[in-house]
Amino acid sequence: MNMEKNYTPQKTDFEFISGRNIDVDTNFASQGYWRGVAVHFFRNKFAVTGLILVCAIMIFAICAPLVSPYSYQEIISITGENGKEIVAKSLPPQFAGENQNLFADKTFIFGTDDMGRDLWTRTWQGARVSLIIAFVAIFIDMLIGMSYGLISGFFGGNIDNVMQRFIEIAGSIPTLVIISILAIFMDKGIGLVIASLLITEWIGMSKIARAECLKLKEREYVLASRTLGAGSFHIIFKQILPNTIGPIITQVMFSIPVAIFTEAFLSFVGVGIVLPQCSIGSLIEAGFNNITILPYQILPPICVLAILMLGFNLIGDGLREALAPKLEDM
Amino acid sequence: MKKVLMMALLLLAALMSGCGEESSNSGKLNVMLQSNVVSLDSAQATDSASFEVIADCIDGLMQLDADGKVIPALAQSYEVSEDGKIYTFHLRDAKWANGDAVTANDFVFSWRRHCEESTKYAYIMGSTVACVKNADAVIKKEIAPEQLGVSAPDAKTFVVELDAPVSFFPSLMCFPAFYPINEKFYNGLEKNTYGTSPETFLSNGAFMLTEYLPGAANIQLAKNNNYWDASRVSLENLQYQVVSSSDNALTAFKNGTLNLAVISGNQVENVKNDAELSKDLHTIPTGILNYLSFNQDAKNNHGGALANVNLRLAISNAIDRESLVDNYVTNGSQATYTAIPIRFAANALTGEYFASDQKQFADVVSFDVDKARTFLETAKSELSRDNFNLEMIYANDSGDTVVRVAQAIKSQVEENLPGVTMNLQPMPKAEYLDRITSNSYDIAITNWAPDYDDPMTFFTLWTTEGCEIAEHWSNADYDKIIANCTTGELAAKYNARWIAMYDAEKILLDNAVIAPLYTNAIADLISSNVSGIEFHSVAIERVYKSAKVQ
Amino acid sequence: MTKYIAKRLIMSILTLFAIIFVLFVLIRIMPGNPFPVERMSAEMILQKRLELGLDKPILVQFADYMSMLMHGSFGNGTSLYNGAPIKPIMLKCLENSFKIGVLSILFGTLVGLVIGIVAALNRGKFLDGLCTIISILGVCIPSYVFMIFLQYFFSYKIPLFPYFFDPSKFLSSAVMPALSLSLFAISTVARFTRNEMVEVINSDYVKLAEAKGLYGFQLIRRHVLRNALIPIVTVIAPLVVDLLTGAMVIEKIYGINGVGKLMVDAIAGQGVDYNYVLALGIVFSSLYIGVMLLLDILYGIIDPRIRLAAKDG
Repeated sequence: MNMEKNYTPQKTDFEFISGRNIDVDTNFASQGYWRGVAVHFFRNKFAVTGLILVCAIMIFAICAPLVSPYSYQEIISITGENGKEIVAKSLPPQFAGENQNLFADKTFIFGTDDMGRDLWTRTWQGARVSLIIAFVAIFIDMLIGMSYGLISGFFGGNIDNVMQRFIEIAGSIPTLVIISILAIFMDKGIGLVIASLLITEWIGMSKIARAECLKLKEREYVLASRTLGAGSFHIIFKQILPNTIGPIITQVMFSIPVAIFTEAFLSFVGVGIVLPQCSIGSLIEAGFNNITILPYQILPPICVLAILMLGFNLIGDGLREALAPKLEDM
Repeated sequence: MKKVLMMALLLLAALMSGCGEESSNSGKLNVMLQSNVVSLDSAQATDSASFEVIADCIDGLMQLDADGKVIPALAQSYEVSEDGKIYTFHLRDAKWANGDAVTANDFVFSWRRHCEESTKYAYIMGSTVACVKNADAVIKKEIAPEQLGVSAPDAKTFVVELDAPVSFFPSLMCFPAFYPINEKFYNGLEKNTYGTSPETFLSNGAFMLTEYLPGAANIQLAKNNNYWDASRVSLENLQYQVVSSSDNALTAFKNGTLNLAVISGNQVENVKNDAELSKDLHTIPTGILNYLSFNQDAKNNHGGALANVNLRLAISNAIDRESLVDNYVTNGSQATYTAIPIRFAANALTGEYFASDQKQFADVVSFDVDKARTFLETAKSELSRDNFNLEMIYANDSGDTVVRVAQAIKSQVEENLPGVTMNLQPMPKAEYLDRITSNSYDIAITNWAPDYDDPMTFFTLWTTEGCEIAEHWSNADYDKIIANCTTGELAAKYNARWIAMYDAEKILLDNAVIAPLYTNAIADLISSNVSGIEFHSVAIERVYKSAKVQ
Repeated sequence: MTKYIAKRLIMSILTLFAIIFVLFVLIRIMPGNPFPVERMSAEMILQKRLELGLDKPILVQFADYMSMLMHGSFGNGTSLYNGAPIKPIMLKCLENSFKIGVLSILFGTLVGLVIGIVAALNRGKFLDGLCTIISILGVCIPSYVFMIFLQYFFSYKIPLFPYFFDPSKFLSSAVMPALSLSLFAISTVARFTRNEMVEVINSDYVKLAEAKGLYGFQLIRRHVLRNALIPIVTVIAPLVVDLLTGAMVIEKIYGINGVGKLMVDAIAGQGVDYNYVLALGIVFSSLYIGVMLLLDILYGIIDPRIRLAAKDG
């Protein structure tokens, strides 16, 4: 008795009745869902390129300010024509030794800004802030916006009604009003920026998630699941969510630059990053003031942003295909 | 796809070019404004842009000539009583644009209305400036506006009674608050609509309004043929365009869209390096003083360290004003070491500007790192603190110059004064003004434009009463001198008053109530075919009555 | 459906009421006085506040405001900042922003759809990549930077369009702002259309339709586009509101008297202009609610399977 109870069946206890050898797919059977996603993802060379781009920007953002000879807020002096110390402002990109006459001893890869600070250091310093903002935006979208939209769309009826009216109220208050009020309670800086993004950024995503949910919830497989007794939250997050991943990832990609520019706008009206700190958005804003006469000042931040966006988009596309493998199969 | 886009674009362009380009007509001048016109109602206007447009359309009793001298406008002549307290103006034959004659009653009506309705500029009628009889009581609504000391014995005679002699009273008459309004026209309008559209605004000056909307980006004026001095006006059209970015202004000027553009900062340097464009660059001095306002209330909610005079002196002496104007303002503005801007308030007897000696207070206002550090050490031991964390606020919606100046000051002060940290706090103008009035700031970058041609327009800012609004400083000796110079015994003595004002300035700067930074200049690009625009440093910045376009 | 719409309408009015209340309370908490207060003494500010009844309890103020609103007037009907009446000015600005907004929506949606469809039909090929890059760049370059480029090249280098907005030449001066405003719409619409279409093209019923012999335009229009439309309409809807309510920076650069500039001036200008913020807020949120209502109705039309009302309704 005792022995029987503790007995665990072994593979060798069973054998095929027919005795014939059947091919068992040992490779895929043992492979978990996420492993599959990873395999799919890394097989996609565009996705890998995206990953490399984003990683490269992150590495530069972390390392470049550390190894740069200048600090991001240092106003650099150089020796001018008549031997006088002058501020190295608005210098186009130059390399040490290349320019024989004046500033031969200094390298400014992206040039300097109109305060006389090194744009190379500032761009990467700014990229740090903007990367944080980008990840916050993704987080807000995925967590708050998506859940809100899915729940609202799935339950429908009065729940949907109330939740949608709340969105209408939240969406109708001008961002500037919300932030000015927040600024009374919080110190200005990145914390305030994140708080204001938390309040305003999720609305777009919740709309998309709700629309997708509305479309999917009447599908046969959801009905089947429901008939089999699956709970609402199981259906929402296990059945509907994976099928909405496409539009959701697309939306996330768009909310990143929107968040970055929202931050820039906030800095511009004086509630964002506090000068002389900087972000990609505030650098674009600053370069914009001199765009036709000193165009090199706006190029670095825009290029970094574009590369970052390209990277995120390629990753997003890769993820989309990896998470919903049927796309790739066809 | 790109091709399709381009094609569509070109097609559209081709369609539209039909209705495009007007030939540039010679009598038209396009002028840039840096900010919106707040209101064409002189009781509501608070900014130089509004004043300029109002003055284009309405003439006052007096006006400034090309050299800034006060000459008659609607007043043909005037007499002053012996004690200097009664002014009698004799009006010339002038007409409103609708054909009505301009009468003394229009002035009486307008002045009374101004005392009753104006908010910011009501004070200009009162005892600190014009001293019009009973003005203070009317402003506070204690007595009826009919009791204001103005009267019209007949249609062409306008009499003003003052409480005290005011030496610069005729020059005040150039300020829009003292302009007339046609009473009949005004009363025929719906409430609150005066000056909100061309139909609700009546001019008697060189131009009339043809296109306007409050807050508009584009304002159009046309020559007023009923103007009494119409022969002097050669422009047929005057157009204002609000342009907020200096970069955009420069391109618009190169494009020929603007005949007069105001540029700043980097654009000025760019133009200076351009052989062709630099010929069109003109540096126009103004009477606007930029300064740091220190909040000296020891109980303010920021710790009140600035109540210590040595800390204030340390900051004031740690700022390299020359570097500030050379590197970051760059539009020809001049570093200033006095409480009065450099090219302002010429002495009527000697013709010398009040602040022409910039070294006068060099012992307390200069750039001297060693001295600044000595002041700082004293402050540290007096307050027994080693670190000062100060918040510097500024309004960031007036262009990017102030943003650069703020960062430069932070960098200089932190480098020259170890232990002092400055937090920059840019904010919208509304919040900035609120922070100042609600006593919740340490240092504010601010500026003040003179309302009339006398140093008193600055000195009254820092009396005990004036400082209740901002610096929260009080000094009995200072107050006494100012009172003496405005309504007291010195009011009628020109020279003694002038010297007393220097004493007041010394008290002010010894206490470092403010740290003067620089006197604004304006870098204007003016098309080479335009001539005759007059620039003034007081009240009305630009006058186009004799402007010509070839 | 009519019952549903009626119910939604009533709800929307209630929501609008709630929004006005929230906005009313919030802007009174906001930092900043409603008056141009440079060197204005505390005494005078107090006097001004008394005149406007700002000292009364907030609920009383709100009741007053609502009763005035019922009579068709936004508060006392004038700007607190320059005393000018609100309604005519707001209408004029709304008109300008609307015209340009509508142009940019039309252009943005059309071009976006075309780019998206082209990309989806050529997925994986060169054209797809090009479209992706265009739509990515479109969101990386802020519309106002693009506006400056346009201004620089198409009215300075090649003088095709007026350099500043000129109401008397509306069409030619609306081209550049409408184009730069539509940039974001083009990007989002193109991206969503492409991704949705790819998904739909890969679905079984499209395969079936293809197998039945449907092809080309017919297939796209009848099966693919219709099913891909839902998320696209969802992204366009808020964009419509954004574009109609004006773009502050572009309006500033190009000198357009629009509501975007009006709103920012009212909040962050010389003083917080309570009357203007509220008036504009009411207009904007009515618009927003209206578009959302339309959106929910549209869902039903595009995809009859969608059921919004509660199961019993």
